[in-house]
Amino acid sequence: MSHGQIILLMTALFLGFGYMGVPVAFALMAGVLVACALTPISMQSMIGQMFHGIDSEILLAVPFFLLVGELMTSADVTNRMIRLAQAMVGHLRGGLAQVVTIFSMFFAGISGSSTADVAVLSRTVAVEMTREGYDRAFTAALIACASTMANLIPPSIMAVVYGATGNVSIGGLFLAGIVPGLVVGIGLMIYSHFFGPTGLLKPRASLCEFYLSARGAVLPLMIPVIIMGGILTGWFTPTEAGMVASVYIILVLVPLLARGHIPKLPRDFVYTGLLYAIPLALVAAASAFGWMLAYLRGPDIVAGWIEIFAGHEGRLIMLFLVLLFIVLGDFMDAVPAIIIFMPIIIKLNELGDINPLHMGVVLITTLVFGLITPPYGLSLLVASKFVGVGFPKAMYASLPIYVVFFVAIGFTVLFPDVVLYLPKFFLPESVGCFKSPTGAGYICPH
Amino acid sequence: MNLPTFVVARHRHLKWPALDPLENTLMILCGVSIAGFTTSVFVDVLTRTLDFPILWLQLATTGFFGWGVFTGMAVATRRMDHLNLVEITKHMSGPRRTAIEIINRLVILVVAISMLVFGIQNFINDLGSYRAPSLIPLATYTACVPIAGALIVLFCLEQIINGWRHGFEGPEDSDDFAGIIK
Repeated sequence: MSHGQIILLMTALFLGFGYMGVPVAFALMAGVLVACALTPISMQSMIGQMFHGIDSEILLAVPFFLLVGELMTSADVTNRMIRLAQAMVGHLRGGLAQVVTIFSMFFAGISGSSTADVAVLSRTVAVEMTREGYDRAFTAALIACASTMANLIPPSIMAVVYGATGNVSIGGLFLAGIVPGLVVGIGLMIYSHFFGPTGLLKPRASLCEFYLSARGAVLPLMIPVIIMGGILTGWFTPTEAGMVASVYIILVLVPLLARGHIPKLPRDFVYTGLLYAIPLALVAAASAFGWMLAYLRGPDIVAGWIEIFAGHEGRLIMLFLVLLFIVLGDFMDAVPAIIIFMPIIIKLNELGDINPLHMGVVLITTLVFGLITPPYGLSLLVASKFVGVGFPKAMYASLPIYVVFFVAIGFTVLFPDVVLYLPKFFLPESVGCFKSPTGAGYICPH
Repeated sequence: MNLPTFVVARHRHLKWPALDPLENTLMILCGVSIAGFTTSVFVDVLTRTLDFPILWLQLATTGFFGWGVFTGMAVATRRMDHLNLVEITKHMSGPRRTAIEIINRLVILVVAISMLVFGIQNFINDLGSYRAPSLIPLATYTACVPIAGALIVLFCLEQIINGWRHGFEGPEDSDDFAGIIK
């Protein structure tokens, strides 16, 4: 069999088994093992690749950011941030809808997990929204859409995986994710204001109320400062920043704000221990799949196809990849998608002379859109379940909000200077700049 | 003293009560792994800041991490917590459901047997490889793969046998995302 045929076979097996209900990690490995039987690659080396795929210190950041989300959620510390969001925007038209978006921005700065964001909002604000007469389908759709910001605004688990597998600066990806994150957030606020339900109109919070709620939220809101401050000052790596944030919650936040939660901490560790293993098992299997794809010269084949249509034009190549990842994001989880396609992405970056950091943030913005699109829109599935509305209804309600994501993706593709401004300013090396031989400033590629 | 139980209540008809303590132990080990590498990274940062770096801490960190991932992979198989593209079988019943559920588990079984068999071969090879700077055998890390494979084989057989006897249908079928993890 030719390499192209083997690639098609292993992909067909993965998708076939996956759609029959085999867990993704095992469906991927089934494809890899069949490919092994058709190539000189030994199965032993591919099983070894599963271990080597996760044997990376950078990936340790994933469990830490999940732990932060789990601890914040289960200790109920997030209520203080919700109160602050209510004091800030609760008086606007569709006040609670605005609260959802503002809270998600805060929470995105703390946790890298969209599912944790959905869980918090569904338990708290969603109940109030139902009481105020908001349509449940709109509530689920908005919560799911807002939760996607957790993977854009730092820390982002997708950015960690992308950086670790693509050898791109994770700090740079974190900073570059802020602009598309804000575009999504502002877009959702505009949508809720003009097209969402009115809700109950409430008086604007007094300065005193605002001060009290801000004071109450100061300690939880120190977490983004610790994480990004530590990374930008060079004190911590992203992994260490995640650890410091976890330790801060355990030693400072929980004893001060939720003392009753201390006996439950071991339980949080146990569940997070399982929670991080599930995506990382996917990473293990996807890295074997990606390795086999690279061996079969999959990146060259796909790059050849894309070259026929896009030539060496960077923006056109990016557009092709965006379309590919919109489709992929509909059918599979972002983590395996990133790892499996990384060799292809690297090849196309070279072909179109694209900045790897720009490509990374474009693809992450595209993949978060997959969290709310059927059939594998994880955030929307979880939100519809928690809010108590059928998935089709929630999906129908989320359709108009897709426009916000198209704008965010388009903006990220078309305005690299704006998107890369923060990484260029704080971490110039992350965008390919290097120190001037004269010692004065940096020389950056155009 | 009664230990807290982390055994999930879903899919009881596919489980042998005799394996519940194993699920509970594996869940606790998942917690131990994340607590372990949180502590080791913390101490690592602390000792480096104090200019007394302890080099083997990084090896301990990656060890806890790798074992945690593969232990979690095994226990997630019993709890059916793995991520799926779709869960079409939930909407089926009768012999068709049984057939597809068994085929799915046979696929998992083949992968798990490969993890066990080839994982053991890798383990034996890795006995002769060492990780600097503490010269810990690489095999102490890679042993997690065949052990996870063996556990997944066990849990798969448990589900196939119980599913064959009692059917795969359960009350949680109507409950999509009945409880992610919890």
